[in-house]
Parts: sequence; structure tokens; C-alpha cells
Amino acid sequence: MFLLLPFDSLVVNLLGISITVLFTLLLVFIIVPAIFGVSFGIRKVYMKTLLKIFQWATLRIERGAKEKKHPLYKPYVNGIIAKDPTSLEEEIKEIRRSGSGKALDTPEFELSDIFYFCRKGIETIMDDEVTKRFSAEELESWNLLSRTNYNFQYISLRLTVLWGLGVLIRYCFLLPLRIALAFTGISLLVTGTTVVGYLPNGRCKEFLSKHVHLMCYRICVRALTAIITYHDRENRPRNGGICVANHTSPIDVIILASDGYYAMVGQIHGGLMGVIQRAMVKACPHVWFERSEVKDRHLVAQRLTEHVQDKSKLPILIFPEGTCINNTSVMMFKKGSFEIGATVYPVAIKYDPQFGDAFWNSSKYGMVTYLLRMMTSWAIVCSVWYLPPMTRQPEEDAVQFANRVKSAIARQGGLVDLLWDGGLKREKVKDTFKEEQQKLYSKMIVGNHEDRSRS
Amino acid sequence: PRELTPPSPLSFPSTVTSEQIEHLHRRFKQLSRDQLTIRKENFDSIPDLEFNPIRGKIVHAFFDKRNLRQESDGLADEINFEDFLTIMSYFRPIEMNMDEEQLDRFRKEKLKFLFHMYDSDHDGKITLQEYRNVVEELLSGNPHLEKESARSIADGAMMEAASICVGQMGPDQVYEGITFEDFLKMWQGIDIETKMHVRFLNMDTIAHCY
Repeated sequence: MFLLLPFDSLVVNLLGISITVLFTLLLVFIIVPAIFGVSFGIRKVYMKTLLKIFQWATLRIERGAKEKKHPLYKPYVNGIIAKDPTSLEEEIKEIRRSGSGKALDTPEFELSDIFYFCRKGIETIMDDEVTKRFSAEELESWNLLSRTNYNFQYISLRLTVLWGLGVLIRYCFLLPLRIALAFTGISLLVTGTTVVGYLPNGRCKEFLSKHVHLMCYRICVRALTAIITYHDRENRPRNGGICVANHTSPIDVIILASDGYYAMVGQIHGGLMGVIQRAMVKACPHVWFERSEVKDRHLVAQRLTEHVQDKSKLPILIFPEGTCINNTSVMMFKKGSFEIGATVYPVAIKYDPQFGDAFWNSSKYGMVTYLLRMMTSWAIVCSVWYLPPMTRQPEEDAVQFANRVKSAIARQGGLVDLLWDGGLKREKVKDTFKEEQQKLYSKMIVGNHEDRSRS
Repeated sequence: PRELTPPSPLSFPSTVTSEQIEHLHRRFKQLSRDQLTIRKENFDSIPDLEFNPIRGKIVHAFFDKRNLRQESDGLADEINFEDFLTIMSYFRPIEMNMDEEQLDRFRKEKLKFLFHMYDSDHDGKITLQEYRNVVEELLSGNPHLEKESARSIADGAMMEAASICVGQMGPDQVYEGITFEDFLKMWQGIDIETKMHVRFLNMDTIAHCY
């Protein structure tokens, strides 16, 4: 063992040097295009190759399952029928109103009340939780991440080897590379903006600031291997406007900011985030609030209005749901950003779940865990649609305007709308809720009946 | 998937795609545990249905021969996939290009289905007892409700129905029950044809990202 040592160290040294050189070359190869905003299209090729591999993997699993004659499991997340989200009361009210023209305050039992329960019953017969878990012969493509595989027992040897190779590549090659890129990106951002901050205000400063920001965001995009397709770029937000986007994950900021120059809004944090924020604001007027200020709605609205009215200032980037970090801000911006009276530029962001689920379940994962998950996925593929600008009409109030914008974004992005309804995130309707429904109905009828007999 | 011969008396509208029929077929197979027919007991395997107060009536409706468009009367013991589809067709959504007559027939069909739910003894009339029965079932979710209250509610509603259908009754007139024509009168103004349907989700709504 000791005799091998000098020989060992030579090999180890050589290995070490070659890996470092390779690494550095790669970094340069990735960072330089980011600086200039060019793309070699390597990521798209990577994506296509991955897809082919996934298809092959899926076929193998299907074949394995067929040989064993078992059904495969495919999660139909949304079920097969469209269920209306209206409540019991609303529906019955609606039916009664259209029928006999009586208000709900004087109900007795009505013949048409049976209708709601009848329809709900037929719906559950056609499709309930059971169908959501099982399906027929076909499986969606498996993306070689064990997190998304429900059919472990059908993996053949070849597939396991491939999966193992995938793990190796993702954790030992891609992850360090991405971490290095992220580190580079963030440190460049901090130093770059600090340096630019020392320049006197003027066109030069603006120009440099814009490019420092863009460059660093592009590096971060590559750090996540995000493959983004932008649609309708002619609708991109302009100065003096507010950019409103739906919020799926913390990565949204990076995705949008790498294609445009925005003023960010948010609360000042401590730690690394705080350092980044403080550096950024030196180069460009972002709107950061102290923790105490966030609670003051008027102050928030006032500062935003001031910013927006200055036409030379950058468009504000707001996620009306707030950031994933601080939940108290959600309520604040919800209506607030639509009251200001500026032009709203809606943006719809949609992630392709095939390459990895970008949704951050904040109740399950912390931020660091989430980022690690993102960095060990194959890639993040998403589409960004810039929708045409909207302004508040004279007869609308802020809430109606907000809803109008929300539905425009939802329509473009597909099923995004659900995520906007606070508590409805991804919970199943609990059983007790359904029991409550029945009790509610009987209370409705009986309670009112008793009132009438008493009066 | 097995061979499906479309049932002949029912003309399937173009809005029901073969993919949807396949879905329903899969669902049928699940419920029937791969048998050719379903019996009442098979509906016990649907957990969500437990909470529906008129569960019994809904399941009953599947086996009601009047709904199955069969000549005879009474209840079937078991139904096959064709019958299953027949029942489901009562809940198909309205089509764009229906004319007045078709719409009217569409509406009557759906209302007939609901009528049969009330009329459990198949005599073509909803009597007071049958009405009480439905109300009691609907209110059965509330364990604190006394039978008396449910009864009085039903009686009140029946009187209301009578006044709509027959007008003012004399003191010794007995209201026999709600016939189908009266039933239709009561649903006037409610567009059942646009509300009584279950719509399939479009399976490929997810936009592709590349």
C-alpha cells in the first residue's frame, strides 16, 4: 500500500488537474455566452436527447409490465370530468332563483333541490378519487427520476443501470457544475452592482447596471439548466408599468429577469439574500421594504405609485401572490398592485413537468432543499407568454380588475387559476367537509322553516 | 378494450368521443371488477358516494327499467355497459346545433329521469308519501333533525306544488299526486338542459412547452 503511494499521488494529481481544467473550460464555455446573451442551442439538443432516452425508458417499463400482465398506474391528477367549484348554497340558490323566482330567504323544500345531489352523485360514479390513481395500459414518459416513478417493480436491469448512470451524472457532474455557476452568478451580481453603484447617475450607469443584471441572471438560468421559450416578446413590459405574473416557484424571478430589466419589489431579508438585495439596489432603484414597513399598506402603495409615475423608472415585477418566502406580503400586494392605476402587463409562466416538478411545496421542503432538488433534476423547461397590456376600466374596482388579469393569465397558462385561491392549493376536499355539506343543506331548509313557523 | 357496439335506440351525439367512451368503459370495468355486468352492490365501492344523502335513489336509478328504456317495468338485477351508457347519456351536455324540437325532447328526457327518482312505485305520480320519502332522505344527513320536522317540510312543499299545478283546491278535493305534466310545469324556467350534465375534461389542455 505504501509502495503505491508515490505512483498514486501522480495519478491523483494528474486526475485532479485534468478535472479542474475541464471544469474551468466548461464554466467559461457556459458563462461567456451568458455575458453576451447568445445561446449555442446546446440546451435544446440536450433536451431532445433526454426526451429520446425517456421514451425508451417508458417503453421498457411498459414492456416489463405487459410481460407480468399487471396494470400500470398513471396519475390522472385532475380526474376525467370537469367539476364545477361552486358550493352547495350557490347552486341551489341559482336553481331556485331561475325557477320560481323566490329568494333563498324564504325557502321551503323545493322540488329542484334534489338536482344538486343527483348531479354530484353521478359525478362521483363517473369519476372519484379511485380513477385519479389508476388507469389503463399506457404510462406517461418516465423521466428517470425516482421521485416520479410509481412502477418500481417493472424496471429491468438495463433500466436500473441507466437510472444509476443518471444519478451519477446528476449528482456528481451536473450538481457541482451548477453550484459553481450559481456561485459565479451571484458573486458577479453582488460585485458588479456594487461597482456600478459608485458611478455617477446617468446613462452610462443605467446601461452598465442593466447589463450586469442581465448577465448574472443569465448565468443563474444556466445554473439551473432552464430551457425557456418566450412567446410574444413584443408585449414585454415597458417603463412605468407593472409586470404581473403567476407564481409557481421562486425561480420565476430568475426566469423573467433574464429576459428583461425590472425593478424588484419585496421585503429586505437578512443573510445572503439581504446582501444581494442591498447590492442590487445600489445600481438600480429596486423597491425594498423594511419588515415594519411591509405591514403599512398605505406606505407600500405610496412608494409603488411614486415609482410607477416616474416614467423613466423600470417596470415593477410583482407576483400578486407574494414571494414564497414571506407570506404576510401576499395579502398586501394582492389588491394593492391593481389599485395603483398603472398599466398592467400580465405574464403567464408555465413549467413542463416532464423534466422535473418545479412547484415548491413550502410546507414540505425548505428553500435549500428545494433548490437542491431543482439542481439535481435534468432541466427546467418552461414557457413564458407575454400577454398584451391591460388597464383598469372606469367601471371596475381593483378586485374585479385583478380577477380579469388573473383569468387572462390562467387562460393562457392552462390550469394555473387554482393556485391563486389561497387555501385551495392542492388539498383534497376532506371527508368531514362533505359531511358538512349535507348538514348545511338540512340546516338551510330546516333553519329557515323554523324561522317561518316561529314568526 | 373490448369491442363496443353502439346501442341502437340511442343515437350518440358527436360530442361524445370514442376516448370518452373508453374512459367510461374503464370505469365500468373497475366498478364491475372485470365482470360483464354491474349489480347494486358494486356501487358500494365508491367511497365518495357514501356521503350523498340520496345515494339509494341514485343507484336505484341505474337499475330502473324505465330509465333503461326497456319495455317492461320494475327493476333490473344487473346492467351491462350499454345500460350504463344509457344512464350516463341523461347527463350529456347540450349540443350546439340542436333545434327547438330536439332541445325540448332533450329536456323532457332529463326531467323524466328526475321524475323517476321521485316516483318510486312507478305509478306515474309522485304521491305525498313519495315526496316525504325524498325529503327525509335529503335531510338525513342531519342526525338532529326529527322526523316530524322533515315531514312538515315535505307537506308544506307538497301543498305548494299542488297550488302551482291545480290552483286553488276545494276543501274536499284530494290531490292525488304530481303527474309528469305537472312536474314539467314546476321546472319551467329552470334550464335543466344546460345544468344537468357532466362534462368531460379536455384531456390535452396542457400546453406543450417546446
